[in-house]
Amino acid sequence: MAVVEINNVFKSYHDTEVEVKAINGVTLSFEKGDFAVIVGPSGSGKTTLLNLIGGLDQPTAGEIIIAGHRLSELKPSELIDFRMDHVGFVFQSYNLIPVLTASENISFIMNLQKWPKEKMTARTNELLSSVGLSDRHKSRPSQLSGGQQQRVAVARALATRPEFILADEPTANLDSKSAEALLEIMEKLNHGEGMTFIFSTHDVRVMKRAHRVITLEDGKVVSDQKLE
Amino acid sequence: MITAIAWKNIWRNKTRSLIVITAVTIGVFAGVFSMAAINSSVVQRINAAVNEELSHIQVNNKDFRRSADIQNVISNYQEVVSELESTPGVTKTTGRIIVRGIASTATKSAGVEINGIDIEKEKEIFTLSERLIAGTGSYFESDTKFNTAFIGEKLAKELNIIRYMITPEAITALKNDGIPADVISKIEALQGERFTSDKKFEKAYEKILESGDTKKYGWKIKEAAWSYREGSKLILTFLDADNNQTGAAFRVSGIFRTNNDMFESISLFVPIEELRQLTGMREGTYHRVIARLSDNEITNQATPVIREKLDDYEVLNWKEIQPDLAMMADFMNQIYSVFMVIILAALSFGIVNTMLMAVLERTRELGMLMAIGMNRRKIFIMIMLESVFLSIVGGFTGMAVSEVVIAITGRTGINLVKYSEGMEAIGYSAHLYPTIDSQFFITTTILIVITGIISAIYPARKALKLNPVEAIRSE
Repeated sequence: MAVVEINNVFKSYHDTEVEVKAINGVTLSFEKGDFAVIVGPSGSGKTTLLNLIGGLDQPTAGEIIIAGHRLSELKPSELIDFRMDHVGFVFQSYNLIPVLTASENISFIMNLQKWPKEKMTARTNELLSSVGLSDRHKSRPSQLSGGQQQRVAVARALATRPEFILADEPTANLDSKSAEALLEIMEKLNHGEGMTFIFSTHDVRVMKRAHRVITLEDGKVVSDQKLE
Repeated sequence: MITAIAWKNIWRNKTRSLIVITAVTIGVFAGVFSMAAINSSVVQRINAAVNEELSHIQVNNKDFRRSADIQNVISNYQEVVSELESTPGVTKTTGRIIVRGIASTATKSAGVEINGIDIEKEKEIFTLSERLIAGTGSYFESDTKFNTAFIGEKLAKELNIIRYMITPEAITALKNDGIPADVISKIEALQGERFTSDKKFEKAYEKILESGDTKKYGWKIKEAAWSYREGSKLILTFLDADNNQTGAAFRVSGIFRTNNDMFESISLFVPIEELRQLTGMREGTYHRVIARLSDNEITNQATPVIREKLDDYEVLNWKEIQPDLAMMADFMNQIYSVFMVIILAALSFGIVNTMLMAVLERTRELGMLMAIGMNRRKIFIMIMLESVFLSIVGGFTGMAVSEVVIAITGRTGINLVKYSEGMEAIGYSAHLYPTIDSQFFITTTILIVITGIISAIYPARKALKLNPVEAIRSE
């Protein structure tokens, strides 16, 4: 079953008088349980495509359907709720809330969704354990290494069991050991929870673990390889 | 959750938040304390006017105040008193005979208002007896065959009853007061001279002392040199009930000191029986009936009730007798408004600036919050709460500091003796006891919170206009 359907999507920006076509007629779909990476040179449109899939940006033309919702039909306020309920984000620079502890960062979206306290605590502990940070639950982001912060970010993205996780260059700021550890956790979650991951990356280590590699060039899909 | 994050956010940049909080604290303290000091001078003046000079309500013959003719009397005193005493809120009444005349001593004379008073009843209404200057006698307690008068310090000075002399006792008092020996040795040169007014005495010691010493020790020297002979004589001259000039010798029973030079220089009190006898006024006739109310605050309600009952007489309350007092109370409210506007404007600018910086610094974080599903309403509330917390912490600290300082200075007082001459000339005390009512604190708290909310609107709107995609990319 397709979790994400992208039908002939275009996205253009106007840089002074020049029209820049960041996404130029992309059609793709992602199935539940995909562990897919979008690769391509800088400026090929990877991040733009991720932003469009996550509902952070609107396409100039075409249609994106996620879990039966046509994103173009949603109002800005509905899009925010949609993101909270259906999409998990992992950013290149972690983007945790600095004043909250690891536990509080993970439970942040559950809090916004008003989960019952016991259920929220149980889920937070489960995720802390999954990402191997049970002993650091009280640490603030500034007290964690880059790799640990990114693991908290993954746990936060997973907390409310969204349809899929969008990870924009998640290993770009990590050393190789931390990157491997993080990818292992994501892979485990993909196998264990059946979570769909869509990455944009330049990192070969991420590509090696992917089940599917989509290559973008000048805003167009030039290859879409499924790997065994 | 949003509240907790907002609270934690204000402590992210502790230095900046503490600077804002300190600025708010100082602003609120400066405003509240100044208000308390100004308020105290007005409250003290009103209390002094009511307790020492006017009481709450005065009933006069309709023509008395206009002409002050001795014939303009209240002839049915008992009826007036029973009407007054049956009015809710009226606690005490007394009657006075009032004549205008001249007080003279061997060297000076002055125009005075001679008040014939019922000593015991007056004590229940006024606190003037407590303003007796120690060592000047008593409030009509001396056992003497002479007529007696209770007079103000200012009048006593004008009549040369009080003078300034450097006596051996004054020198000892100055030594005990810790005045330096070189100052005392210069002052000793004035021994044997008698100065009939404080101005003349001031000029004399200013000539022989350094200006620094004059400023530092002048008032202590004046206090030590203050001299009065108990039982000094004065002659009062006035018209009797038949409009014939009459008069009698009086001994000064005691001298009172208030903060109102005008009152002190004009008002003179004698027992009512003595004045009745000297004027030949009929028993049971009075010029004025004075009523005391249970509370200042009921003055406006009680006045029309009494006025309706005693429509043959002129009924005035203290605000009508001295409209400047009522005006000062209103003026206080206006000063209060101006102070508050200044304090709140400063508070507002501080908060807008801080919150704008906070929003700017956290652009990427705010973008991330929008991306992961925190809606704009919650972001708006979070920024507003941060601003309100800053205002509340600063505002409450400022008010707590004010409360403590007002409590301390309310007990110890603030001595503005340097300005006493000017202040007392217009009836205000040179010793301020800052006071402010709780309503002021409540209003200020509400205004501070409202200012915090209003100040946060602009920075919060700035945050709402962020585009999550651009915000996340920002450095």
